[in-house]
Amino acid sequence: MLTPTATDRISRWTPAIFACALGNFALAQALVAAGVRWAGVADLAAPTLAVVHLLTIGWITLLMFGALFQFVPVVTNSPLLSQRLSLGTLSFIELGLAGMVLGFFLLGSPLAALLPAGGSLVVIGILAGILNLAVPLARKRPLPLSARFIIAGLVLLFLTVSLGLAFALALTVPAAAQALGPMLANGVADHALAGLGGWFTLTAIGVSYELLPMFMLAPHERGAWGHAVFGTAILGFAAALLGGFESIKLFGQAAIGLAILLYLIDIARLYRDRKRRQIELHNQAAIGAFISLGIGLALALAAALSHGWTRAAPSLLFVVLFGWLSGLGLSQLYKIIPFLAWLARFGRRLGRGPVPRVQDLVNERSARYVFVAYFAAIAVGAAAAWLGLAPFLRGAIAVSLVATALLAREYRRAWRGHYAQTPRPAPVPGSPFHLPQP
Amino acid sequence: MTMLAPLTLDVRDELRRGGEPLPRILEAVGKLEPGQPLRLLTTFEPIPLYHVLGRKGFGHVASRHGEGEWEILFTPGQASASETPKRQPDANRTEPVAHTDWPTPKTTLDNRGLMPPEPMIRILQTLEELAPGEVLEAINERNPVFLYPELEARGAAIKVEQRDDGAFRLLIRRGG
Repeated sequence: MLTPTATDRISRWTPAIFACALGNFALAQALVAAGVRWAGVADLAAPTLAVVHLLTIGWITLLMFGALFQFVPVVTNSPLLSQRLSLGTLSFIELGLAGMVLGFFLLGSPLAALLPAGGSLVVIGILAGILNLAVPLARKRPLPLSARFIIAGLVLLFLTVSLGLAFALALTVPAAAQALGPMLANGVADHALAGLGGWFTLTAIGVSYELLPMFMLAPHERGAWGHAVFGTAILGFAAALLGGFESIKLFGQAAIGLAILLYLIDIARLYRDRKRRQIELHNQAAIGAFISLGIGLALALAAALSHGWTRAAPSLLFVVLFGWLSGLGLSQLYKIIPFLAWLARFGRRLGRGPVPRVQDLVNERSARYVFVAYFAAIAVGAAAAWLGLAPFLRGAIAVSLVATALLAREYRRAWRGHYAQTPRPAPVPGSPFHLPQP
Repeated sequence: MTMLAPLTLDVRDELRRGGEPLPRILEAVGKLEPGQPLRLLTTFEPIPLYHVLGRKGFGHVASRHGEGEWEILFTPGQASASETPKRQPDANRTEPVAHTDWPTPKTTLDNRGLMPPEPMIRILQTLEELAPGEVLEAINERNPVFLYPELEARGAAIKVEQRDDGAFRLLIRRGG
């Protein structure tokens, strides 16, 4: 038997990372609502690129790292390499992203060098994050299914940011453009596939396979289905990204699509087989994210069959980023934040007196309307993006911005114990988290 | 002594919703008149509760009325009848309970099938009922990583191992 060490499984910077990520999400939405054009892969204006990277790096990548810093030590039963390294990831990504966003807006001027400079800082922050997670992952044998997805996601993250840095150089340094140009011909599609499909989606799948069964009391072992999802996805990404011929790439894309389909069926099984009849709001809201992923899959299929990627790209990008990834993130934060707050605030009092339940830190009734508004806005936005109705898309994103702000308020209330009934205990000294207590 | 009518507490709905009714039960116990019994309706035999209330001087009589229908009558002043709760049979147990120099566990909590953080709440609540040096055994589905800082803060010692069936077996000794 082992004697576990006490405090090294809590990720101290995770709440602060979540707060920064939400700020970036709000900023990106505000920029679109204020008029920056939403566009697809074929139409990459500089302000649009700034918004897309605020979303992908500033929001989803930070959100994923914040979650993984807490999640991987739990799954592997092994601590992060260093808590301080988590702060390094947050600082380098935030600072680098600010440089990148400015660089995009200043493309064509000498200050455009901010783009590769900021991109380099982002890559450093991401490498620090990968290293921080690689240590506990390397110690764990055998690897659970969720950890395999996370490792695959991290590998594809590395590929994504390497390609991204090459783009940043090609866009701003003429010599680099000449050298890298041929290599980057197909690069935008690979960059997007490895980032959206690989890093984000594989990681989200891995985390969902752990979090959903935990709070719905559903079977945790996914058996052959889970392995089929993983194997098909890995085969797909290898063929789609490394396959030298168009036919191999197409085969790979089809395999990725099949893996996502298998995953969605497995998630339906997971909801069906749950032992807990009543589903908490965070997992009700997650259904909106899964439907978005299904719609994204259908859009990708339609695009592939009709050679209409240009037509489908804006709505596909929107539904994957806002519906699937942001939707899943916002919904799971509605459980993760109250849980961490409950631990920080009431852990010391457990067994020694009345303590509110985790559910008492939230008000599901008021948050339910916000989630409904968010996903309604996503549905309208996806349709508007498909039909090319820019004002409607802008309006939908304005609504999703308001919904995000209202959810952020609910997270903050949960964190501060706003809904906890009296007696409202004083904050416990020595909170394990680096975020101001009220 | 005249027998007071028992106070009835039905926690079946809360349990079916996945809730943790122990705080409500303890609250109800606190509201009892002197000598008043508590009639508890649950979905399973609440063996750990026998121990918790046994320490408060309650004896118990359990009856099963059907699948997932239990009625337990806790009566004050009969502690001796319930001081040693019967351990739940556990088909998965492959080893003797105590293979360390620690005393034999006073109580075993089977926390499988409970939603986090209920296992942690149960463990800490039960731990607070133990005397210094006494040991609690718990079987958890997951490694309770958030429990360890709380145990350390309370001066409790812990040993943990993962069993072949994937569950985690914890031995927790209350500090002085």
